[in-house]
Amino acid sequence: MKRRLLALTVVLTLVGAACGASTPGGGGAAPAQVKLTDNKLVLAVLNDQSLVYADLSGKNAVEAVKMAVEDFKAKYGENALGGPVEVITADHQNKPDLASSKAQEFYERSNADIIFDVPTSSAALAVAKVASDQKKMYINITAATTDLTGPSCNKYTFHYAYDTYMLAAGTGKWVTENVGKQWYIIYPNYAFGQDMEKSFRASVEKFGGKVIQSDGSPFPNQTGDFSQLLLKAGQLKPQVLGAMQAGGDLVNVVKQYNEFKLKDQNIKLAIGLLFDTDITALGADAFAGVVYTTPWVWSMDDQSRQFADKFLKRTGIRPTFAHAGNYSAAWQYMEAVRRAGGDDADAVVKQLEGYKFSDFFIRNGNIRADDHWVMHDALLAQVKPASEAKEKFDYSKVLGTIPAETASRPLAETGCKMPK
Amino acid sequence: MDLGYVSVQLFNGLVNGAFYALLSLGLAIIFGVMRVVNFAHGAFYMLGAFGAYLLLQQIALPFWIALVVAPLGVAVIGAVLERLFLRRLYPLDPLYNFLLTFGLTIFIQDAMRLRFGIQGQPYPMPAELAASVSFGAIGYPVYRLFVIAFSIAICFGVWYAIERTRLGMVVRAATERGELTRALGIDVDRWMTGVFGAGIALAALAGVLAAPMRNVSPLMGSELIILTFAVVVIGGMGSIVGAVTAGFLVGLLASLGAIFNPALENVVVFALMAVVLLVRPAGLFGSPEAE
Amino acid sequence: MRRWLPLALVIAGILVAVALPRVLYSVLALRIMLWALFAVSVDLLLGFGGMLSFGHAAFWGGAGYTAALLAKTFQLPFPIAALAGTLAAMALATPIGYLAIRRRGIYFAMVTLAFAQMLFYVVNEWRDVTGGENGVQAVPKLLPGFSVSRTLDFYYAALPLILLGFFFAYRIVHSPFGHVLVSIRDNEARAQALGYPTQRYKLLAFVLSAGLAGLAGSLFAIGNSFASLELLHWTTSGTVVLMVVLGGMGTLWGGAIGAAIVLLMEDWLSGFTEASGVITGAVLVVIVLGFRRGLWPTLRDLVTASRHPEAPPSVDASAP
Repeated sequence: MKRRLLALTVVLTLVGAACGASTPGGGGAAPAQVKLTDNKLVLAVLNDQSLVYADLSGKNAVEAVKMAVEDFKAKYGENALGGPVEVITADHQNKPDLASSKAQEFYERSNADIIFDVPTSSAALAVAKVASDQKKMYINITAATTDLTGPSCNKYTFHYAYDTYMLAAGTGKWVTENVGKQWYIIYPNYAFGQDMEKSFRASVEKFGGKVIQSDGSPFPNQTGDFSQLLLKAGQLKPQVLGAMQAGGDLVNVVKQYNEFKLKDQNIKLAIGLLFDTDITALGADAFAGVVYTTPWVWSMDDQSRQFADKFLKRTGIRPTFAHAGNYSAAWQYMEAVRRAGGDDADAVVKQLEGYKFSDFFIRNGNIRADDHWVMHDALLAQVKPASEAKEKFDYSKVLGTIPAETASRPLAETGCKMPK
Repeated sequence: MDLGYVSVQLFNGLVNGAFYALLSLGLAIIFGVMRVVNFAHGAFYMLGAFGAYLLLQQIALPFWIALVVAPLGVAVIGAVLERLFLRRLYPLDPLYNFLLTFGLTIFIQDAMRLRFGIQGQPYPMPAELAASVSFGAIGYPVYRLFVIAFSIAICFGVWYAIERTRLGMVVRAATERGELTRALGIDVDRWMTGVFGAGIALAALAGVLAAPMRNVSPLMGSELIILTFAVVVIGGMGSIVGAVTAGFLVGLLASLGAIFNPALENVVVFALMAVVLLVRPAGLFGSPEAE
Repeated sequence: MRRWLPLALVIAGILVAVALPRVLYSVLALRIMLWALFAVSVDLLLGFGGMLSFGHAAFWGGAGYTAALLAKTFQLPFPIAALAGTLAAMALATPIGYLAIRRRGIYFAMVTLAFAQMLFYVVNEWRDVTGGENGVQAVPKLLPGFSVSRTLDFYYAALPLILLGFFFAYRIVHSPFGHVLVSIRDNEARAQALGYPTQRYKLLAFVLSAGLAGLAGSLFAIGNSFASLELLHWTTSGTVVLMVVLGGMGTLWGGAIGAAIVLLMEDWLSGFTEASGVITGAVLVVIVLGFRRGLWPTLRDLVTASRHPEAPPSVDASAP
């Protein structure tokens, strides 16, 4: 009997807690220059906090946004935004339907003014639709799909850090010109992977290379085994093997690439999307020599290093470009709110469109009004062997800069029809 | 399509098959003796891989030692869980133990994720096996050949233990005539823990073998478990020979299917599973179901 | 005195359903109601038919995709799209059920799992139609003469259909068909000896259960404005079984309670996501070990003074 009562109590408590859970109200702030619509500014971070992308963005991306808020207040004063600033977060587990309902909940139930991050292309696109329906802002940082500034573009959606075009424009060009013209591309067989394959194919062929063949690996991947495709590479003998897998899949590809000693057979590896967390999983030597495109490397200059030191102190790891991108986007959003004098979405959008800026993450930034792609310079980076690392997490060196114009998809190709 | 290429793909199939065989062997033993459908088998595979990683990282124990120590350690964990939880549900419908192990899986995987993160831990190939063998124009890692040979040896060893030793005889008796065996004075329950531990040890062993080849990450076993179920069903849910044969067979067939169309790899297994269930539900080697 | 208790419960249930989106957030309320219907459909098969399906996501998801695609392509009002989805689920269930019921127990469960997995991969591959990983997006919520785009409005518009689904489940169970089904569950040989064509009864139960799951899935996809692969994943099949066990098998409404608990817990936990899997796993273990009969029978025993409920399902009996 007691056991049942205990269970009942637990259940009712859970139910009560869930019902009672509501966003804490913000105190009425003395109006400064900025007037907020419900007397507070709510920044929401929606990303994967328990699965494949939990390390490269995840909870630490939330920390990055919190850091941005704290630093912003430190710079401009406690009441810089005319009221309290709240950071809320949820885990979408890479599921587009969960992302969609969480986004709706953020906008409607929690009065979120903006949503940041959202990795996984399908989730990213789902949130874009919600943002458009609700007429609330959304800055995507960690998804790669060009559709965000293409068929799914809308007035309230911005694409901040990178996309498949940028990756292909950088890596595809450099590797074709400097390493080899004959490519064999393997890609995970879903939207992101297919997007990457298309972008890389176009880029490789544009710069005089040829894609002998491309094959999709099953996604989701049951076994973590890519040996079938890698052996095929051994048979086709391309000069370059382009791997478009991401996260855990990529780690498996590289591990097995090394196992089959394809490098010794003169099949060099090109990676579409590489994060520092992937390198941590295998160690730098497994990736040594690989050239890749990235919007940012933490060790690239003093400004970035400063941010990276603060981040290291706070989280224990060096930031990936996703973490840095969230900080930068949050900062720029808050600046835009200040300029607009409030958090009304239409006003802030107007402030962002056509805005040119630079910070530690974005160099030569220009927010295009036509598709809301944030143009900026990208970097060509190379993974150093572990022996050359000056400290922990010092994985890459910068080979060169890809100017914003080259790194951004030409407007004529986007297919974005932004309703005015 | 040159012969060298096809043969290495087949060897690949055997490697995958080796993993299926080891995993489904453990699963089949546990189901055969205890009527427990151990959903957590994939989680124990993952713990075996992590065991090898931790042994290397914390006490610099190399791969060869890990191959023995890690499965033993994980088997102890499994035995403890059996004593604490599973044993209470034996008298009931297997559904309950299935759900229990499902809950344990979620718990274990998430706990490991909290501790280690999702990205994966590095584990190097053992130096002694890092060479390559050439098949025509293609180099094939020696380590993979080792995996095939070692797995076959283990499977044979287990089969021998069950068919030819006194220990195995008791296990078989407990499976087929539980009450009678008890009536003859043999403490069947004590064997249950041991059998469960043995099945778990096999899963962990597969994990150690996987560590140099696959990403050591908390979710590495989560999709594999469903495939393992399929293999066990195909082979016959309580049959040792069935599990091993089906494991290698499925590995080969999936590889062959993938040569033609990579997408087929997934569908082949489940289509085969459905066919077997409908045509010969006891599986290729199972005895007709006792219903 | 006990005679008005069921009626009172029904009225209470309807009141809860009507008030739910006011108390909770409307999106959450809709999810709870639809998963509850899904769980009830599974319990119909499991608790009353004695058949554990580990592939019911095939019907929830198959119907969801059907309804979403039809609603999007032909701009259909959602009740029609939902009806189409329900019929699609039943059509899908007929061959699968026909094949599956030739096996019993865990083998039956494995067959359903195998077919559900195959459907998952087929839908994943058939990218041109289903959008693959991206899913079917931007599904319109339409009802001529009304605006139901807001979830709150959609909830109330869909509620009659959902309640209808619950009502059907209730009628199936409390009908001669339902009683025969229970007797087949308890002792199939005896039912056969009495002259009942047991395979036909089991198949019909399977198809009806799939239809209810399909109704729930269709409304879910339309309500979310899209259909994704998640609908067909084996973890969805696992979750709904978990809800049924949590609430109590064979109680019909236990599944609904289980659904509410699981979803509320998930919602509550996502506020501090650090250890959600650890907690969920631990809760499941505790429930299976200690509260096997499920929460509904536990609550029911607390409420009714008398300790003579109807005989609980015989799943507790030892099985070979």
